[in-house]
Amino acid sequence: MKESQTEKRGAVDYIYMVQRVIAIFSVISVFFPFMNPTRICKLVNENTSLFTAAVSYSTLTSEAGRALRMNWLSPAAFYVLYAGAVIAVIGVAFVVVGGCMSLGNTKMKRGGILWSILGSIVEIAGFVVTIIAYNIVNSSTMSTKLDKVGPTFPVAAVTYIIVAAALLVISVIILMALPKAAPDEKMEMHPQYKLFLMVLPFLALAFVFCYLPLWGWRYAFFDYQTGGTLSMSNFVGFKWFTYLFQNGATRADIVRVIRNTFAMSGLGLITQWIPMAFAIFLCEVKNLTFRRFIQTFTTVPNFISWVLVYALAIAIFSTDGFINEFARSIGLLAEGVDGKNFLMGDHLTWIKMWAWGTWKGVGWSAIIYISGIAGIDQQLYEAATVDGAGRFQKMWNITVPGLLPTFFVLLLMAVAAVLSNGLDQYLVFCTAQNKNHIEVLDLYVYNLGLGSGGSIPLSTVVGMFKSVISVILLFGANSLSKALRGESIV
Amino acid sequence: MAMTAQEKLDAKREKEYNKTHKRMYKLKPGDIVFNILNYAFFILFTITCIFPFYYLFINTISDNTLVQQGLINFIPRGLNINNYKALAGVGDLGYAFIVSITRTIFGTALMVVASAFVGYLVTKQEMWHRSFWYRAIVITMYFNAGLIATYLNLVMLGLTNHYMVYIIPGIVAPYNIILVKTYIESIPAELEESAFIDGASYMQVFTKIIWPLSKPILATIAIFGAVGHWNSFQDSLIYMSNEPKLYTLQHRLYIYLNQSSNLQASMNSGGEAAKSAFAAALNTKVIKYTISMISVIPILIVYPFMNRYFEKGIMLGAVKG
Repeated sequence: MKESQTEKRGAVDYIYMVQRVIAIFSVISVFFPFMNPTRICKLVNENTSLFTAAVSYSTLTSEAGRALRMNWLSPAAFYVLYAGAVIAVIGVAFVVVGGCMSLGNTKMKRGGILWSILGSIVEIAGFVVTIIAYNIVNSSTMSTKLDKVGPTFPVAAVTYIIVAAALLVISVIILMALPKAAPDEKMEMHPQYKLFLMVLPFLALAFVFCYLPLWGWRYAFFDYQTGGTLSMSNFVGFKWFTYLFQNGATRADIVRVIRNTFAMSGLGLITQWIPMAFAIFLCEVKNLTFRRFIQTFTTVPNFISWVLVYALAIAIFSTDGFINEFARSIGLLAEGVDGKNFLMGDHLTWIKMWAWGTWKGVGWSAIIYISGIAGIDQQLYEAATVDGAGRFQKMWNITVPGLLPTFFVLLLMAVAAVLSNGLDQYLVFCTAQNKNHIEVLDLYVYNLGLGSGGSIPLSTVVGMFKSVISVILLFGANSLSKALRGESIV
Repeated sequence: MAMTAQEKLDAKREKEYNKTHKRMYKLKPGDIVFNILNYAFFILFTITCIFPFYYLFINTISDNTLVQQGLINFIPRGLNINNYKALAGVGDLGYAFIVSITRTIFGTALMVVASAFVGYLVTKQEMWHRSFWYRAIVITMYFNAGLIATYLNLVMLGLTNHYMVYIIPGIVAPYNIILVKTYIESIPAELEESAFIDGASYMQVFTKIIWPLSKPILATIAIFGAVGHWNSFQDSLIYMSNEPKLYTLQHRLYIYLNQSSNLQASMNSGGEAAKSAFAAALNTKVIKYTISMISVIPILIVYPFMNRYFEKGIMLGAVKG
């Protein structure tokens, strides 16, 4: 008797899997524009997902403004469409609740089934309303504007209705098959699922904002113009990948940008020891209050944005900035002569950028070494003094070896990030004159895709290469660290 | 400010360290030269870190005609705060200020609550496939699809030109989750266990035990998050192309620094009062300086009080392992 019951449970469990899979499918597809059942005519942007349509009426009608003003079609169509979207999304939410509750005990499962049944009915209602909206569009559109409005039957809505109906049938079957819970049973769930469901919303956020962008890589395979569409008609395969290397101008750009990236990162790498030296010498300042003062104020620049650094740079180095005015006031610069703008021009751009970065970051980076020095055993210093070691000998033979592990980890991290210089600094300091030397990979991708370049596919390709190479570098640095120190850095 | 036990111990150790060092060095001429050079270097470097802020500040509170002539280099003259008053009337800046403030408050609050909650949940061994989900979150720290793909994703989600793009993508912050998790793991497990025996739920344990006990680390990530939000201008630049009203203060500053013509435009858009105030002292240099000052003042005010948390933050980052 008992055995047969568990067997039955096992079989029902598989049906629960279907219930959950449908719930997951519904919630994911709500966010994918190409599965959008509300795209009933060309006036709905192809980048709108069902979720967007349901939360924002203005996005839904963003491209229909003219059509509505000119009375090409009845405005009722969009009201009905919006209502349909909202109802459908509410239905999906119910289905998700049902899917989550199916992880609980028998009583909770029964509750979950009821939610699923309710949700699938609401979903079906929502999609039927969408199809009604399509009919309104079809019948109310002026015949002359039919090609502009372009009503298209929402195939996705039918798909959804089929899926929701399947869920409805399955839910009813489970409800019949499921033994009734004992009357005194409380709604409970095993802690492992309870914890999972609590963390699930955050996993979903991480998925949407960190993993879903990978879906954007598909733009690399299409001949996409900003504002255009992706369809099989403009699928170009690996055209942009080969274009990157075969087109002379692009190739020259890439070489230049890679050169700048490596130059700036390289300067950073070979001067990686500067914060360590800063810390060591700062610890030679024996007045504690004064040391504290220095430490506090040299870390301030780290906490202001690059825009503000640029603002300070203008205040100090521009034509009417501090340097020029000061030179004027002590007679080095004659009255009426324009000062020199040190921010213009392309002289020593790499060094200047490195200097700004160091000015901003050195005090902050030194903190980690300062606490490292505090952790070094004082007996080592005392022993060395007894042996007659001088100040520099102690620094070189005790402090530096003590800090090397930290230095090594930071160096490897910097190697792994060699392609990621960041965008802000180079964007704010970029001028027409120094663009040749300041454009690093991140800035190039930005300019190419969103700035003057206007080529989304090509910049996506460059971004893909960057992402993949960065990961390879990170793993390389990590295994090097494991091999040399027996510890991983990630 | 009350010192914690750890700080007292540190101070004591420092004193001992100094004693031993003093004993060790009889100041030779070489040492004196070294000390002079060392102090000179650090004083000069500290000045380069402070002076630009000071220079900006004295130029915004001095007489504008003197500023225009370039006569304010070290000492402010003709003190007044008219520039700040005049800029308060410019509509663009008002919007930008409100956007920056609200995104800093809401964005930081949500990020901290989410980090604390997720950080707590991932310490629970009994979670279904715990390590897999935890890794899934951590990996996102090292890998991203790139600027354009992220942009396309947000376009797809309808978040571009929408205020929420400042808030929602930043809620799950993997690095902060790691920090909180590491911290919670150091809290004695007995506290939680006894609460569970008394019948507390996960939610109750989190709000009554974990949250109060992890306040130091939460304060640290909050302060870092707030600075990040306040300083951020990339998202405004990239995602707000059609919605100038939602520009952040930093983005406005960037625009003003680059295009003086915008100053004229915003002057015309500000009301009558602003117009006359600007007309009295229309001076792009001063306006640039004043906007810069407005953007940096919140950080300069908060920084000295929060210094402790900042330094704690970098140390925590170092031990995450």
